[in-house]
Amino acid sequence: MPLDTSTYNLALLRVDGRRWNELRDQRGQMGVQPSADGSAYLQMGNTKIQAIVAGPNERDASKTNSSASTAATAGGLGATVAVGITVAPFATVDRKRRGRNDKRLQEMQTTLAAALAAAVQGQAYGPRSTIHVSLHVLSQDGSLLAALVNAASLALVDAGVPMTDYLVACTAGSTSSYAAADEAADPLLDLNTQEEQELPFLTLATLGASDKVVAMVCESRVQLARLEGMMATAADGCKGVRDFLDRVVREKGEIMVQEGAVGRGEVVSSMDLD
Amino acid sequence: MPREAEPSQNEKDFVLKAVREGHRLDARALDQFRPLDLKFGDQYGVADVTLGKTRILAKVTAEVTVPYTDRPFDGIFTITTELSPMASPAFEVNRPTETEVLLSRLLEKTVRRSNALDTESLCLVAGQKCWSIRVDLHVLSHDGNLIDASCLAVVAALRHFRKPDTSIEGDTLTVYTPAEREPVPLSWLHSPFCITFSFFGTVSVGEDEEKDIWLLDTTRLEEQLRVSSCTISMNKHGEICQVAKPGGAPVEAVTVLQCSNLALQKVKDLSDFVDQKLAEDSKRRNKGGLLAELSAENAR
Repeated sequence: MPLDTSTYNLALLRVDGRRWNELRDQRGQMGVQPSADGSAYLQMGNTKIQAIVAGPNERDASKTNSSASTAATAGGLGATVAVGITVAPFATVDRKRRGRNDKRLQEMQTTLAAALAAAVQGQAYGPRSTIHVSLHVLSQDGSLLAALVNAASLALVDAGVPMTDYLVACTAGSTSSYAAADEAADPLLDLNTQEEQELPFLTLATLGASDKVVAMVCESRVQLARLEGMMATAADGCKGVRDFLDRVVREKGEIMVQEGAVGRGEVVSSMDLD
Repeated sequence: MPREAEPSQNEKDFVLKAVREGHRLDARALDQFRPLDLKFGDQYGVADVTLGKTRILAKVTAEVTVPYTDRPFDGIFTITTELSPMASPAFEVNRPTETEVLLSRLLEKTVRRSNALDTESLCLVAGQKCWSIRVDLHVLSHDGNLIDASCLAVVAALRHFRKPDTSIEGDTLTVYTPAEREPVPLSWLHSPFCITFSFFGTVSVGEDEEKDIWLLDTTRLEEQLRVSSCTISMNKHGEICQVAKPGGAPVEAVTVLQCSNLALQKVKDLSDFVDQKLAEDSKRRNKGGLLAELSAENAR
């Protein structure tokens, strides 16, 4: 595989023609699954996620923390958020089946559950209720954790679960590998699979447009000096993603008003639909 | 599944209030580690780490096996963690808890994925024979900060380990016993260490300014009360091997950057500590200066 960095230095364009601070094409849709309490479909480039929210339901003690889903409690005595991730066998280029005890997925579930629990106002429901979020990875092309976070966030909004803000995530990488002590390395935003395999990168999840870090995962070797640039870029990306999610939610609200699902009453007027 | 006993409300309030005021129950500074001790066994590759009341034993073993078919030039390197009921009643045998999954993933990312051990050097005959290095980690006593202590134990044990010397003549591979040839150390590239920061919400400083409170090397009680944590793995050259903040309460980005700078200092301390202990151990083993004569290494 040709090194991405080798061509980058010439034209400052990445393998897919983006500049360093450009997000990939994003698409989102809410309410794609009528039978669910909340659902969303999100596309970040070629990473495609379907998220389904069930609940809040009464907690099923025997099912929490099994290998199929991982739970975390929101806001001390609040509701529990349980997250399950399924990766479709056709999601990657080489078709393969993943076991249920994949530790990488389990870790991702734990991270997601704890991160969502930080955004959800769990005390609105009380300690004996659980919100189930099941995430289905339909296609995988980099920034998987970030896309999962964003899709889950959108589905929770669709389900009407109260949250302090959108939980948004984005990845950022650095153009030179750890070996080169190259000070002029550029940070890159929103990596695809090819870039992820070659460059050090991190996933950052923030609460809305603030600089508050809810989750951060970096799995590659990178110089300490690069961290700041990568985090700043990722935080900028998070703001972009937040605007995008907000737009999706507002569009959906507008359609609901037009269709008459919601009357243009007190509730809607406070939403300030443009 | 037995659950861990939660601290009482009084205990919670007391600890949290003390932390907010900058005190800890054991009178440590907020960024101070508990007394750390590292002992090596009589055998090579056994490290016993004591951090306060947390105690962890790591043992390294090596055997000759067939490499994986998709990686014919690489040896096999595995880290297995076991949290037995001996460490805490909340752990069960053969049922990995979330703590265990996270711990093994963190060690995997810190030591294995960062290429601390050169797995290519474990290859003996490409596609046919290679060394399989296995680290078994046992938590003997759990009083918080398992991650940092485990990582230290794994790194120390691997650096202490010596594998039997081998030679290849034609098609025959000879593995020498320690009596025939002095065992050789593993090809070790860098020593990563984990530093875990535990967050306890914010305190206000001045007008509209809020500061995140964080502790290093938390005890079990403090760990049960923290709102989120962030583990940063680094080597002494300032290379980050892994960062994990798995959800929990949000923390300012600036705080994370400050933490990573402090982590570098702490990693340098830990690195020096392990170097010193290894030097002491090799001195102890090298009675009469025999090792220098047995070694086949050239002075470069």
